[in-house]
Amino acid sequence: MSIHSIVCIKSVVRTAPDGVGRRTPENSELNPFDRPALEAALRIKESLGGTVTVLSMGPPVGVEALAEAQAMGADRAVLVCDAALAGSDTLVTARVLAAAVQHLAPYDFLFFGTRTSDSDTGQVGPQTATLLEIPFVSGVKQMEPREHAWEITRLMDDWQELWRVNVPAAVSIHPRFFAPRPIALGGIALAHDHLDVQNWRLADLGIAHDRAGLAGSPTRVAKLQKIVRKRSCRMLSGEPKEQVEALVELLTAKGVMGS
Amino acid sequence: MSEPFLNAKHRMLRRTVRAFCEQELRPIAAEIDQEARFPWEVMEKMGSLGYFGIQAPAELGGAGLDTVSYAVTIEEISRVSGSIGLCLSVHNSVALYPILAFGNREQHQRWVPGLAAGKKIGAFCLTEPNVGSDASAITATALPEDGQWRVNANKVFVTNGGIADICLIFARTDPAAGRKGISVVVAERGTKGFVVGDLEDLCGMRANPVSSIRLYDCMLPEENLLGRTGQGLAIGLAALDTGRIGIAAQALGIAQAALEEGVRYANQRQQFGVPIGRHQAIQMMIADMATQVDAARLLVYRAASLKDQGEPVGKAAAQAKLFAAEAACLVTDLAVQIHGGYGYSKAYAVERYYRDARVTRIYEGTSEVHRMVIAREVLAGQ
Repeated sequence: MSIHSIVCIKSVVRTAPDGVGRRTPENSELNPFDRPALEAALRIKESLGGTVTVLSMGPPVGVEALAEAQAMGADRAVLVCDAALAGSDTLVTARVLAAAVQHLAPYDFLFFGTRTSDSDTGQVGPQTATLLEIPFVSGVKQMEPREHAWEITRLMDDWQELWRVNVPAAVSIHPRFFAPRPIALGGIALAHDHLDVQNWRLADLGIAHDRAGLAGSPTRVAKLQKIVRKRSCRMLSGEPKEQVEALVELLTAKGVMGS
Repeated sequence: MSEPFLNAKHRMLRRTVRAFCEQELRPIAAEIDQEARFPWEVMEKMGSLGYFGIQAPAELGGAGLDTVSYAVTIEEISRVSGSIGLCLSVHNSVALYPILAFGNREQHQRWVPGLAAGKKIGAFCLTEPNVGSDASAITATALPEDGQWRVNANKVFVTNGGIADICLIFARTDPAAGRKGISVVVAERGTKGFVVGDLEDLCGMRANPVSSIRLYDCMLPEENLLGRTGQGLAIGLAALDTGRIGIAAQALGIAQAALEEGVRYANQRQQFGVPIGRHQAIQMMIADMATQVDAARLLVYRAASLKDQGEPVGKAAAQAKLFAAEAACLVTDLAVQIHGGYGYSKAYAVERYYRDARVTRIYEGTSEVHRMVIAREVLAGQ
């Protein structure tokens, strides 16, 4: 068995933007929620053989996130980068990724993180799968190949579900169950000294400019504003037992505890 | 802010090393200092990730990175634990590097893969009880006898001494030849006559097992000679040129850590109704600390970058080491001052940084010796 996995990754902005979000190599990183997805794909490759392709859409700075994925062990990297993509919302992102995935076919699995640390919509994975008309399982904890299908376990708060799916299929990976491997220094040297990121433009994917960027996006961000949360400290007094009771009462009143 | 001398590879490396150190080293950094314990559990992980063979070529099991990468790695490790930064700086630059630079193919095959994977730890044995800055005065001997070297040596203050498997021993192979009679032979732990002395009880860098290493009529194979006979001081100087970049990076990492703690505390600690960072007296210190750290960083990266370009690096490395070591002592001192009484307590990390910084002005060439090196080159018009 040889599995071709495509892992969709994003180069995210590390610090909360205020006003306009600017991406520079210094403030960007590989989305932390994409690392478990990449880890899951790498583990499948290690146990069953095959290749792992990482795919990203975004500005040129995305090359660094792709190189990081290669340092972890990805075999091939593709960046869809085009000035006409500026202002794309999640639907356009899904449209572009779906077109790129079709160019990378055949494939078995399409991996996503559950969400991104900067925009946090969780929409791109399911939207891409919908456009590709393939099954999508979210919050995946485990993936096992069986004779005629894959068994995929997904986790929710208090229960789990077992799904049988045929490939090609899309999954988003629960971050708790695929702790990403630390990057070896040799992987960094290898990824950069033989950096091989394919650059695709919209024309390569046959997507017209009016279907991309702001023009193609039904939604747009009107305003970005940084929220500063105020923390306050309150000391409880009395014997330990009384303090615990007071704390439980407080947390229950705030809805943090209790049913 | 974009940093000169660093490219995308170096940025990724910094993120990677920092993430690893924050996760694995930070939780134990204070404890291993207090217990003077070498953290094998973390070091084994670092071995499997390439930290013991930063610049060794991939075909010999190394990470195949450049000197700037080496400096960034040592800086980031030292930002969390000076002791571990020291272990890896010495292992990589004055043990592994001379074997790579002066060893023959057989020696590479024999020693480099184990060292690069961290399965073997290296040490550099030059200093003797009465031999410090004047390295040409060493008394250790390695005399030829029946196709072997009979080695007698008393080496002290050996970094990694308590755990070292492969030791570069500087000894006289021709006692009559003066400076030209000094050579390097490699001694492996476990050889008969190879004795590890007691661990030193040091002021700082306490998680590194610094010890003496003594060789008593230790018979080493002829093929353990590194380079040629009489080449010892040249090997030592070449190793120390590289080593200085590592120690400079180490001092830089400690200074960076102290700056961060100073800034954090200045923003947090309230006196006279405001955070102390609002007081000009503290601001003056913060400004000096930040400037010293930035200047040290530029000198360290410049020296590393020159080495990568194959340029002569003696003066640049000496300047980086001198400046970064002095800066580390100044910056950690100011960080303690900002913390007031708390800074003098082991409950706060700056106390450890203050102790760790001090030795960077002493080892791998004192600040005074580096001034000699710099002045000599400047006066010669270089």
